[in-house]
Amino acid sequence: MSERNPASAGAIPVPFMSATLDGRGVLAGLVFSAVLSALVYLGSQGLRGFDGALAGYLFSTLFALFGIVYRYVVWLQRPPTRLYWVRGWQLFWAPGKRLRNMGLFVRLTFDKLVAQTFIRRRSHQRWLAHQLIFWGCVLAILVTFPLTFGWLRFESAVSDPSVYMPVLFGARMPLFGFAARSLVGWVIFHLLDIAAVLVLAGIAIALPRHLKDEAELSTQRLDNDFIPLVLLFAVSVTGLMLTVSNMGMAGKFYYWITTTHAVTVMLWLLFLPFGKFFHIFQRIANLGVWFYKAAGAEGEQARCARCREPYLSVMQRDDLKRLLPELGFDYAEEGGGNWQDVCPSCRRKLVTLNQFQTVGKRFV
Amino acid sequence: MELQFFVDPIRCIGCKACLQGCSECATHRGRSMIHLEYMDRGTSTQTVPMVCMHCENPTCAQVCPADAIKRTEDGVVQSSLKERCIGCANCVNACPFGVPRYYPEFDQMLKCDMCYDRTSVGLKPMCATVCPSDALFFGTREEFETRRSGRPVNEFRFGAQIVRTRVFMVLDEAHDRLDVQDVALADTPDPRFEPDTYDSVDPFSHVEPPSNGGPA
Repeated sequence: MSERNPASAGAIPVPFMSATLDGRGVLAGLVFSAVLSALVYLGSQGLRGFDGALAGYLFSTLFALFGIVYRYVVWLQRPPTRLYWVRGWQLFWAPGKRLRNMGLFVRLTFDKLVAQTFIRRRSHQRWLAHQLIFWGCVLAILVTFPLTFGWLRFESAVSDPSVYMPVLFGARMPLFGFAARSLVGWVIFHLLDIAAVLVLAGIAIALPRHLKDEAELSTQRLDNDFIPLVLLFAVSVTGLMLTVSNMGMAGKFYYWITTTHAVTVMLWLLFLPFGKFFHIFQRIANLGVWFYKAAGAEGEQARCARCREPYLSVMQRDDLKRLLPELGFDYAEEGGGNWQDVCPSCRRKLVTLNQFQTVGKRFV
Repeated sequence: MELQFFVDPIRCIGCKACLQGCSECATHRGRSMIHLEYMDRGTSTQTVPMVCMHCENPTCAQVCPADAIKRTEDGVVQSSLKERCIGCANCVNACPFGVPRYYPEFDQMLKCDMCYDRTSVGLKPMCATVCPSDALFFGTREEFETRRSGRPVNEFRFGAQIVRTRVFMVLDEAHDRLDVQDVALADTPDPRFEPDTYDSVDPFSHVEPPSNGGPA
């Protein structure tokens, strides 16, 4: 971005990446990956239900899980994140409010994580693109992860080989059997194609904004904004090409396409802890913040030291006053006051008031 | 030649051109990121424009639990990243200059980003292009010095905290830092008026949404 800016003489030197690893992050990452490995072993009945052709996907998933957990643990150690994490759980489990909080949790989960209404209020087009990509990815994950882990497979019914039935954790489920050559069968076998079409439709809506919008052009970054879209596109297109090869090209290039598809999926999995994808895991914190806000709105309100108007909850003001010194800031006044006791509006006015006083001028 | 931003609220005439210009910016279309307030509506016509000062070590970014506020290589502090901002409003309440705004309808903080779609390609921010009194001026140091007097400073003290910024404020030659003094010292209410006489009159209420971080 700096090359776009002719006025970048004051560029910040970017330090070399430190090679040190966070101990807690590594430990938590290893524990989560080990637990998933154990669940795969148990869920696939000692690997009897495991499909060896999917081993690459499994190893990539384990590595991605390690990376996601590592980054999450490092992120939780930042003082403001840790504060919200602790406060969020405290307020959620506050005695006497647990039932109400469970209700709020369900409502927030639907509103923030499923329906994503806050994006719709920003732009309908942006919301539609996000919903298409979101549901496409959710569908693909629900289909592929149980298959990759060996938890789910399909077998022909002994009595009628044209009827397929799911085998979940080694248990045959004849009740859920379906005819392979039926509409239900077609939908089940094409769930990943449907997911790919949803994702591609979402990308088709989102991409023009990334290529034309002045705001996006000035702030987006290759690693954060573009590579995730490229990876989703590559996974979807190569996945659809498998069906095209199978149904329309008599299986031509099938092996080459499966390999390419596997590589794109593995790259997608390995990129989950980086760039924009990490927001999938980070956004859950959005729910905790709403418990914090609800508790703040019900609690005592802090009044500005200058105008005496309420401007935020006492809880948040005091949390900020504790947090800032941890981050190396000291806004305490000599006389015992604190700049954080002043509301944002009065802060703005006081800066100008002090400018007047400093240069010895008076208002008209 | 490096382009710099110079703010001089003393020169503000309250014309609101900056508010209208700001809302034209592509990074926050239709919303003005400038705060414009009357200093003391009861006793003075003095107005206060406030843009983001773009701190070298931004308090807003440091208190952000979601790591959503980024400073670009050229020292411009951006609005929160849409996908990351969790809407806690820590930034709104921690910024020493009172700049970020929280929008409950889409659960995100937006702030002045020096019209990054423009300044990143060498253009002036919208507010500075329309300000008739040069209270908001964007140009080279030489342009500033040939047009006016005063000493641009980019160091501020709030309590015990020194804050250095990318944006300059204009003081006189005797000062190289603005010490924002204790609240009690800085304010001397006019005895002719009741303290809250005009508090309910907000001339900018139609363009100035509430910026506190409470729930929607």
